Amino acid sequence: MCKTIFLLPVLVFICSACGIGDGTKPVTLPSTQVMAVETFLADISQHVAGDRLIVDVLLQPDVDPHSYQPTPLDVTRIAESTILIINGAGLESFLGPLLVKAGGERLVIEASAGLKPRSDPGGDHPMGDPHFWLDPINVVKYVENIRDGLSQADPGGTQTYTANAKAYIEDLHSLDAWIKEQVSQIPPAHHLLVTNHETFGYFAERYGFTVVGTVIPSLSSEASPSAQQMTSLIKQIKQMGAPAIFLEAGVNPNLAEQIANETGTKVITNLYTHSISGISGPAPTYIDMMKYNVKLIVEALK
Amino acid sequence: MIYWLLEPLTYSFMQRGLLAAVIVGILCAVMGTYVVLRGMAFLGDAMAHAILPGVAIAYLLHGNLLLGALAAAAVIALSIGFFSRQGTIKEDTAIGILFAAALSLGVALISSIQTYAVDLSHILFGNILGVSLNDLWLTVGLGLVILLAVGLAYKQFLVISFDPVLAATLRLPVELLRNFMLLLLALTVVVSLQTVGVGLAAAMLVTPAATAYLLARRLWSMMVVSALIGAISSAAGLYISYYLNIVSGSAIVLFATLIFLLVFLFNPRKGLLRRRKA
Amino acid sequence: MTNPSPAEPARLDVESIYVAYNGTPALRDITFQVPHGARVAVIGPNGAGKSTLFRALVGLLPLQKGRVLIHGLTLGHHLDCVAYIPQREEVDWRFPVTVRDVVLMGRYGRLGWLQRPSLSDHMVVRQSLKQMGIVNLADHSIGDLSGGEQQRVFLARALAQEPHILLMDEPFTGVDMTTQAATLDLLDQLRANKVTVMVSTHDLNLAAGRFDAVLLINKRLIAYGTPRQVLVQENLSRAFGPQLMVLPDGTMLVDQCCPPDEGIESYRET
Repeated sequence: MCKTIFLLPVLVFICSACGIGDGTKPVTLPSTQVMAVETFLADISQHVAGDRLIVDVLLQPDVDPHSYQPTPLDVTRIAESTILIINGAGLESFLGPLLVKAGGERLVIEASAGLKPRSDPGGDHPMGDPHFWLDPINVVKYVENIRDGLSQADPGGTQTYTANAKAYIEDLHSLDAWIKEQVSQIPPAHHLLVTNHETFGYFAERYGFTVVGTVIPSLSSEASPSAQQMTSLIKQIKQMGAPAIFLEAGVNPNLAEQIANETGTKVITNLYTHSISGISGPAPTYIDMMKYNVKLIVEALK
Repeated sequence: MIYWLLEPLTYSFMQRGLLAAVIVGILCAVMGTYVVLRGMAFLGDAMAHAILPGVAIAYLLHGNLLLGALAAAAVIALSIGFFSRQGTIKEDTAIGILFAAALSLGVALISSIQTYAVDLSHILFGNILGVSLNDLWLTVGLGLVILLAVGLAYKQFLVISFDPVLAATLRLPVELLRNFMLLLLALTVVVSLQTVGVGLAAAMLVTPAATAYLLARRLWSMMVVSALIGAISSAAGLYISYYLNIVSGSAIVLFATLIFLLVFLFNPRKGLLRRRKA
Repeated sequence: MTNPSPAEPARLDVESIYVAYNGTPALRDITFQVPHGARVAVIGPNGAGKSTLFRALVGLLPLQKGRVLIHGLTLGHHLDCVAYIPQREEVDWRFPVTVRDVVLMGRYGRLGWLQRPSLSDHMVVRQSLKQMGIVNLADHSIGDLSGGEQQRVFLARALAQEPHILLMDEPFTGVDMTTQAATLDLLDQLRANKVTVMVSTHDLNLAAGRFDAVLLINKRLIAYGTPRQVLVQENLSRAFGPQLMVLPDGTMLVDQCCPPDEGIESYRET
């Protein structure tokens, strides 16, 4: 009896060492573990990596990187990664200490490297506006950085990465053209965006919108507006005649609803800005996400 | 002068915010009378923070978040009562333990939900500027219920607070009354959270009543003075936040604290400066 | 709840009660009856269980065995029948109440949940204040009073309760002469109104001189009867143990500081 009990754990140990387990992992370079922080970044990176690498993702869909609180499991996962793809420009404030805890060596690819940031309208982010990815042309630079990084880590795949990058960049240009065409359906007087926080700066610049104001006058979603900030936004909206307020998925709409009440605007929720949706959602890839958002915006402002 | 008073009120969100703030100020001040006299300040604070797991569980079960908050506040209050009655630990310790446990449970649950973490914490932080008409009706309705209950149970609450021995000899149902008071406190906390958020609800339960304690000689007058101070602090705080462009909730608490300090120093009966002179 | 008329005997029947306090047995097998309107002194050394007895009679402590009957009915049927004045009031002295407010609380037992005190309630309060000589203090805060004055406030409250039985735990200990005199006057008045009174005291002379009956306890009932019957050497010896000293001329001295050892008591019993 005692012998059997002793034998069982030994058996389990041996079996696990033999690798009896998940047989569905594709054959990849065994020493490379690629992880992107945000879901949209993972999608973009996967397009560059193609079949050669699997890109893992740290954050789940629908999670806001501004307020993210990492768990111990996250530290482990980062520790196990050999290539980490981040947005950079101050978006991932939680990352610094996480990297220190994880220790070890890895290649960190900063997707937004080389892009010139807009200055921070709210005045409290010295690194400027990190929301580059809402302008597809900025994402071209992301793709180039990722391609270069992956090639550096895995020279054997350089050709693959270059080819994939080229194809994806073409897709991005098509997306850009499509957006321009969609946006042209909006009367010029309605090229006005009111959002939850300062997300659409680059998008507005690229496609000729004016950001009338934001409910939370900050680059981060964490703050609360004062009464004066709310009344000045209301005045702005009334003055410029903005037809809608756009909120991201998961944001508490009560402040926006009070503003909408005062100004007679619509409140459009469920934009996907900091994350793509799950597979079954309306925005399962970066390009889908942009198309989905643009459709909502155009519908509301037409 | 009149212009200053009326200008913010041209916005309907400010009108609602003002009304909600004043109502919550009065409610917290009235229940705060018992909080201050019975030494329940820590308990009030614990309740305000401990609603987090209630909200998280309600969210997971797709239920009403406010009801979840109320259930959690009630559970915490009754648990604290249970533990401290065992006699092995003091009430203060019981509160500390359960408060930390509830908060941690809430954080753990929310981190497992991941997605709407920001949304749920808005329940904790509240926003007086985001009060809708529905919110206002709810606040008024529940507020009236609470005030009515306090009025009806006035005698009983007085006796159990002042002289528990007399309460027992008069055969008052002391446990029942105490639990009833805790439930009213839980309801007050939850109603306040919607409008002014956690930190404020806890403060508004203590500061106006503490000020009234220095001024009043009888329980009912302490309640009335407390309510007045609560209402004035809320209104004044909201106006100040509007004109000085600061966060409304903090302005309200700071104003209430200012009143307390003034009374503490200059109170004709027990003021610090008066006593020093004499 | 029916309030028996004062004409019925306010008998207090205590049958074989066992009471524990904080887990340890405090009173064992105590039995006695107090007839209508009697004045009983409860004496015994410190730790004998006098306060415990009163608290059990009022229902503040549960009975492990036995029962207490008032007017022939168990406790719980008489919301305002018994008034109790503990030795040290466990109240919050800084509570915002006036003297009048405190005395008015004595009437709450007669009021329903939603009833406000009526004019007659206020008159009873005024009468009680007068009896205790503190009408002039009626609107003072309770915290502003001296110790003696506070004692009289609680006596006034007990009066306002219009009880049939009044229990007073050491009302003569540590109070000034005025208050002692006032308390004794009160006892006389209560006797005139046929209120049954039980008073615990350390003053054996007072017990001997002013009370109809004496109850001598030390965790158990040692003796119960008239002062003459109870205050004899044998009983006092059993109760106070080595704290009792008999002088050559027969005078008995009792040092009431500490409870005698249980062991000694049982030794004496064998």
